[in-house]
Amino acid sequence: MTDTRKPGRAAGRSLIALGLFMLLGMVVVTALGPWVAPFNPSATSPDSLAGPSAQHWLGTDSIGRDVLSRLIIGGRTTLLITFVAVAVALAGGVVLGLLSGYVGGLVDQLVMRALDVIFAFPVFLLAIAVVAALGPTVPNLILTIAVVYTPRLARVVRGPVLSVKRWDHVEAARSVGVGEFRIAVRHVLPLVVSPILVETSLVLAQTIFTVTALSFLGLGPPPPDPNWGGMLSEGRQFMELAPLTVIGPACAIVFATLTFIVLANGLRERLDVTGK
Amino acid sequence: MSHPGPTNEELELWLPTVALGVQRRSLLQLALMGAGLAASPSLLAQSGVPKRGGTLTIGADADPIGLDPVTLTAFSSYDFTAQLYTGLLRWNAEMKIEPDLATGYLAPNDTTYIFRLRQGVKFHNGQPFTAEDVKHTFDRIMDPASASPSAVLFASVKAVTVVEPFTVKFELKAPSATFLSYMATNPNGVIVPRGVVDLRTKPVGTGPFVFESYEPGQQFVLKANPNYYEDKQPYLDTLVFKFFKDQASLVSALRSKAIDMTWFKDPKVSAQIVKGSRELVSAPGKTSRTFPVWFNIKAKPLSDVRVRRALSLATDRKACLQTVLGSGAGKVGAMVPESQIGGYDGVSPLPYYKTDVAAAKKLLTEAGYAGGLDLGDYIVVAANALDVQCAQILQQQWAAAGIKVNLKPMETAPLIGLWLKGDYTIMSIALSWSPDPDAIVSRLLSTHSQGKGIGMADAQLDKMIEDARAILDVPKRAAAYQQIQKHVADQAYLLQIYQYPLRWEAWWSYVKGYVPLAANIRTFVRAAYISK
Amino acid sequence: MIRLALTRVAWMVPILLGVSVVAFLLMRALPGDFVQASAGTTELAPEALDTIRRSLGLDRPVWEQYLDWLARVLAGDFGTSFVTQRPVLDELLPRLLVTAELTFFAGLMALLLGAGSGLAAARLRGRVDWLVRTVNGILLAVPNFVFATLVVLLAGLYFPEVGIFNYTPFFTDPLGNIGSMLLPALSLALAVSVTISENTRAAVLEVSSQDFVMVARAKGLLPRTVLRNYLVRNALTPVITVTGLQLASLLGGSILIETIFTIPGMGQHLFESVTTRNYPVIQAIVLVAATIVLLVNVLVDIAYARVDARVRYD
Repeated sequence: MTDTRKPGRAAGRSLIALGLFMLLGMVVVTALGPWVAPFNPSATSPDSLAGPSAQHWLGTDSIGRDVLSRLIIGGRTTLLITFVAVAVALAGGVVLGLLSGYVGGLVDQLVMRALDVIFAFPVFLLAIAVVAALGPTVPNLILTIAVVYTPRLARVVRGPVLSVKRWDHVEAARSVGVGEFRIAVRHVLPLVVSPILVETSLVLAQTIFTVTALSFLGLGPPPPDPNWGGMLSEGRQFMELAPLTVIGPACAIVFATLTFIVLANGLRERLDVTGK
Repeated sequence: MSHPGPTNEELELWLPTVALGVQRRSLLQLALMGAGLAASPSLLAQSGVPKRGGTLTIGADADPIGLDPVTLTAFSSYDFTAQLYTGLLRWNAEMKIEPDLATGYLAPNDTTYIFRLRQGVKFHNGQPFTAEDVKHTFDRIMDPASASPSAVLFASVKAVTVVEPFTVKFELKAPSATFLSYMATNPNGVIVPRGVVDLRTKPVGTGPFVFESYEPGQQFVLKANPNYYEDKQPYLDTLVFKFFKDQASLVSALRSKAIDMTWFKDPKVSAQIVKGSRELVSAPGKTSRTFPVWFNIKAKPLSDVRVRRALSLATDRKACLQTVLGSGAGKVGAMVPESQIGGYDGVSPLPYYKTDVAAAKKLLTEAGYAGGLDLGDYIVVAANALDVQCAQILQQQWAAAGIKVNLKPMETAPLIGLWLKGDYTIMSIALSWSPDPDAIVSRLLSTHSQGKGIGMADAQLDKMIEDARAILDVPKRAAAYQQIQKHVADQAYLLQIYQYPLRWEAWWSYVKGYVPLAANIRTFVRAAYISK
Repeated sequence: MIRLALTRVAWMVPILLGVSVVAFLLMRALPGDFVQASAGTTELAPEALDTIRRSLGLDRPVWEQYLDWLARVLAGDFGTSFVTQRPVLDELLPRLLVTAELTFFAGLMALLLGAGSGLAAARLRGRVDWLVRTVNGILLAVPNFVFATLVVLLAGLYFPEVGIFNYTPFFTDPLGNIGSMLLPALSLALAVSVTISENTRAAVLEVSSQDFVMVARAKGLLPRTVLRNYLVRNALTPVITVTGLQLASLLGGSILIETIFTIPGMGQHLFESVTTRNYPVIQAIVLVAATIVLLVNVLVDIAYARVDARVRYD
């Protein structure tokens, strides 16, 4: 008889461990990128669309650049954008969610509706517009993505805040005269941590998707900086001559996304948070 | 008689009035071709008798933006206007001018052209074609309210007069060697009917195909014109253009025979697809454009000719060509592509074309940049993969000589804005095919809006360009353009890297009789037929 | 609940206004305009460019352009496309239907695949369960455009004669149309099917457990009734959320899939229109998309409230 609601915190722990291991691996390889990559990712050569060889483990692309090196360096940019953007979104989301949930009333309505406007806006349109207006630089991409995911994190924070703020011991604290701010930080915030952790890892997975999708559409960091989505898009034309130009970035993207999903699942089971 | 060529008496009447070399040559051509206009395509068609009927499906990568030849500005519309409209003259497969709606012309002096028009031609709506339509077309072109791009090209035209119902006279302000080329170019010189208002969405012309329907983003359907004046053409019943958004889907569509014919921007893609099947034909077409690197020479450091020459020396044009286009797909380029009068053949020596990084460094030191130089943003059209690739290679080549640039791929719309104003340091944007070398080099005139924007002020070059415009003798004109190119390369006002065909066409071998044109418009669809 | 629905719908109006204003300003903040984009390097006298701009109304002050647009939209006129000179709605509606069809198929596939695999995993247990969960885990990590690209690659390598990009409109050839939508819909459906699968599995397992049946009997209820109610409530909630989310991400996912499979839908239309700065089309698409997203959100919240009485709204 298997009880599926609590597969055991042990399962959660092992998933978290796996996720962290994968994450560590990715971060280390990409951080050490320039020293680990066998070639300069921008170095062109006449040896284009070559298959895998001792020299080029994953072959070369249409202007002779080494695919493996481009994957490693591309990973740096992709992961950098992802982490920073989510960090910014988290900061923004927590602040707005706390503010909105705690203060309630008109402020809550206004903030939530303003966030609704962002929520309703097609992600890609926003990204296309920001990128076209301001240029496809890394900071602009970070900004765009952070803006897009802030509403989600704000909502996640607001939910528990709304219910918690009515709890008895919070009322008690208030009646004794503890300041609102202290109540917010000491009582409310810790309860919000669990869902936030889970949601953040989900958002990280989603962000990898968004970043690579944007660069797939041509809105990512411009050449010659490599990035996974762009490599996937460029590789499409010559897929049949050199499948690795497509399979390589595809695997990289899947691996990165998988890392965060594993983490999210592990956290969810460990912290026993029921999904929505 | 369906195509009245000049009779023998008329030939005798006309020949003695010829003043200069090119007219004579053209008239001889006209005389030879007079009776058998259908001759040239069939000379080129490999196998036998054209079959009637059938539908040809062509893969297109861009929707047309407007179908009125007088007002349209987008290159993507040209493919469609080439089927719908014809002009007084046209280009043949060898890129020589031949008669079309005109059966011949007379040039009593070097600023007057009297065209004899074909009789019995009808527009798609049944309206008969006469000299009045020619006048109407050019009135519209010259009218500022039309905002016609052709207005700039025909700026030398002083007056268009209807002499008789089938004779029309053009008077120019000054002798112009470009006039006939522009007349032969679709859509600039094509004729539109009087009294028809909305040509933009309901085109009516004299071309081999009639507009049937258009679903944006999906397909554009044309039907054969039963009244087309060229004997027996078009052979096809229906012509369909299907729209695809990118090269990958064009490849797949061609392979699976969802389309019969298409063209690719990247020669490597074209080579790949043809490798896949013996029944696929690929024709590179003639080199028709170059990849330029424009400089803004108003301010330092690019105002210093030594810096510019250093850039030219640091560039390895052959390596760019090899890596970006692959072998056999293009040539080293200069201002004028090979298919034009005076075009560069890709091999003759030009100043500062021979790669020499050491010499480049030396020039930089002389100019005061011994420790290297940072030129800022190098702007390139993001949507053109080939351009971006070449720009990356150039960036590396220049870096080897100590010159640093920051590659900045940009969307076309804002890029054009900057380009028009000259608001850049270094930029690469290729010009689309132009019918005459003058259109290319005149951008470097100090009086031209582009020349002004980038700071051109070379009086000697100005004179060379203006003189070359008026030379009617072809070999002399070609020599003049060679001189211009040498001068431009010597001063390194801009860099030209390579020249290549704008598109590489590919089609299934059951499509016969088709010839790709350097002008990059599919006028030879009229001569194509399907033989399965 | 009626009050909830009405309030939310009422809020939609200012939100939509906000969205349209942001879109308007954002697009005009983009450097370059339609005239430049379409002319390219064709030589035009600057006066000519201005003439064209004037005819498109682009020379008027921005606020005037916006109010003019707003007035016309309220009267039902969405303007004409700069590129094709045809009414925007005429082009938009067929594309909306195409995207809707794609999303509908994707949803259907997701439901079938997800519910099917979840049920199989819960009932058959053992290896099947393990297989389903592993596959789910991997599928979730594969973004839809990556999957689509790989599918196209495989098809190109092993089935070159099969036309993947042969989109045919429904009314021309219904079977062909469905055939051409299969792979694109599958690409969109996969990620969603995983969520449905996991939730179906969890619900079925829950209900199959002995404890549950015992409690039900103790309460005097027929297990079957409880099973039905429980399943419905617990499986339906995530399904609703997920369907809602999917519809809401209609535009985002569809841009990618439509681009890869060259399907003439709304997402692709939006992307092209931004590139050519075709303002009237962009405004219309943004408005339509935002309306759909907001409506879906409202419907999801209402359905939520009905299904799960525990949820309370401020």
